[in-house]
Amino acid sequence: MNPTLNVTLSAKDLTLQHGNTTIVESLNLTLPEGKVTAIVGPNGCGKSTLLNGLSRIHHPSHGGVLLDGKDIHKQASRDVARRLALLPQDTIAPDGITVSELIRFGRHPHQSALKQWQMSDQEAIDYALKAADLSALKDRLLDTLSGGQRQRAWIAMSIAQETPLLLLDEPTSALDLGHQIEVFELIKALSEEGKTVAMVVHDLPSACRYADHIVAMKSGKIISEGCPKDVMTKELVLELYGIECDLMPDPMTGSPILINIKRVQSE
Amino acid sequence: MMHNMTPPEGYLCLTLGQYTCLIDKNAIVRNLLLVTLLIFASIGSLAIGTLSLSPWEVVQAVFSVGDTMNQFVVQELRLQRLLAGLYTGAAFSLAGCLMQTLARNRLATPGIIGIDNAAMAFAVSSVVSTGISIAPSGMALVGAATAAALAFGLSGSSGTRGYRFIVAGIGIGSIAGAATQLMLSQVAIDTANAAFPWTVGSLNARSSLMVSVLGVGLLICLIACMLLTHVFSLLSFSDAVVIGLGRNMKHLRMIALSLSIVLTGLSVAVAGPVGLVALIGPEVARVLARYRGTPLVGSALAGALIMVIADLLGRTMLSPIEIPVGIVTSIIGGPYLIWILIRQRSAHSL
Repeated sequence: MNPTLNVTLSAKDLTLQHGNTTIVESLNLTLPEGKVTAIVGPNGCGKSTLLNGLSRIHHPSHGGVLLDGKDIHKQASRDVARRLALLPQDTIAPDGITVSELIRFGRHPHQSALKQWQMSDQEAIDYALKAADLSALKDRLLDTLSGGQRQRAWIAMSIAQETPLLLLDEPTSALDLGHQIEVFELIKALSEEGKTVAMVVHDLPSACRYADHIVAMKSGKIISEGCPKDVMTKELVLELYGIECDLMPDPMTGSPILINIKRVQSE
Repeated sequence: MMHNMTPPEGYLCLTLGQYTCLIDKNAIVRNLLLVTLLIFASIGSLAIGTLSLSPWEVVQAVFSVGDTMNQFVVQELRLQRLLAGLYTGAAFSLAGCLMQTLARNRLATPGIIGIDNAAMAFAVSSVVSTGISIAPSGMALVGAATAAALAFGLSGSSGTRGYRFIVAGIGIGSIAGAATQLMLSQVAIDTANAAFPWTVGSLNARSSLMVSVLGVGLLICLIACMLLTHVFSLLSFSDAVVIGLGRNMKHLRMIALSLSIVLTGLSVAVAGPVGLVALIGPEVARVLARYRGTPLVGSALAGALIMVIADLLGRTMLSPIEIPVGIVTSIIGGPYLIWILIRQRSAHSL
């Protein structure tokens, strides 16, 4: 376990396109180390594309993504995979795979055809099982788990990858409220151990509550960035989602929550 | 080390210095079972024929002891046919398993990308076109290579999921199939009869050189698959997951596709299109593995077993008339496949 190893990830003048359509335009961003960053914005604002760009799945048209100050696409993909783990939205797993087998795949970047099992693999898997609270479920088939448990198993796979950086694309989008909180708390705990986390989140109050840093995007650009209390304003919510609301601090945590929500008639 | 290293449950960990290798215990049991069955089937195949031998006589003859007549029958007449069956069965089935993993579809075979049709068309053309027929085996190999090259060329790349490649292959396959029918309809009935084995798949038309070439090719591909098992297991994940784990999905697909094409091309050149083995062999291996993992070695063994048994049945059922092995695999394999697909527990793995 070496989460204190510092690794930086930043986008520099990053432009991402789908075909000829520009999705993300000349974007600059540096993920604060050891913190949870939430990327928020309306549908189609480019937040998932940005995450795919940061995780080297989407190749940039201009600019680039720097991992430890060097272009991520010029580094060996396996070397990158030892520093940056990714939980995509589109997670297809092989049929009939158990939780511990899935987690074992997280060790892939550390293994080779001639080094298939080492002490470090065993330790990392045990640690991931414990961190994601899956020890009791380790022999269950992935298909038989609830949505929240399955998502925890995928996160455990990225924990086993032992990377200082973790990127998650809508990790809670298909989950009910209870399971959402279960997953968010796990993510928060990981960052408290020193991991740098970035996630795309739909739910604004959850983003404010669990993230240290908010990146608000609209039409492929960052329109506001900073700690939740500073960033979250009525004006921002209006600009992002076209709704009017009032913000009040959560009586328990102090993070902003939305009340009196009204849709603004589009002119 | 402070703790003892224990491999994951169900695995053996072989250690040599700093090198370690994980072996699935269940896979060892399954594959040993298949090897045992294969040995019995092979002895049966060598023993049964116009001159029937006892299993012991077969074993003696294989090791060049005992009756010289038996030795001649086994070594010169039957052994090569057995090897042709073993190799083609294993190669077709391994190619099928790779293709199915690649396409994430249990019904995908190398046949859908037109390789066997093209090999068939080229072999038939060599039988029917010239008086001096150029070796049909060689032509079949040329056909397979041409089809693969055309499919690659027309699709530009393997596409995001290999679908472009498959669509190009389907087109090439149907053109080749139509060309075969056209050729057969234009020639005298005797010539068409001579070309017949190449259209259904048979171990009769084999050339001994091609059998050896296939043997070497199969060995190389099998070793490659065993070395790459570790990596091929990633093919069942989505692209984004694979990239996140530091592998290039396009390269992985290309390697698996190339192996599949080489194996199919070589075995079509020996036996013609015995397509169904590529479906049934991997399915048997998956049933034995209880639908877990990608049983590449198991597929090869199961395919070889099916082919040897099918050929044995084809030679003996209506003896002295011989039924081509391709027809036997369709007759026994078709219903078996339907049964497997119907009793399959969940629809989503199809």
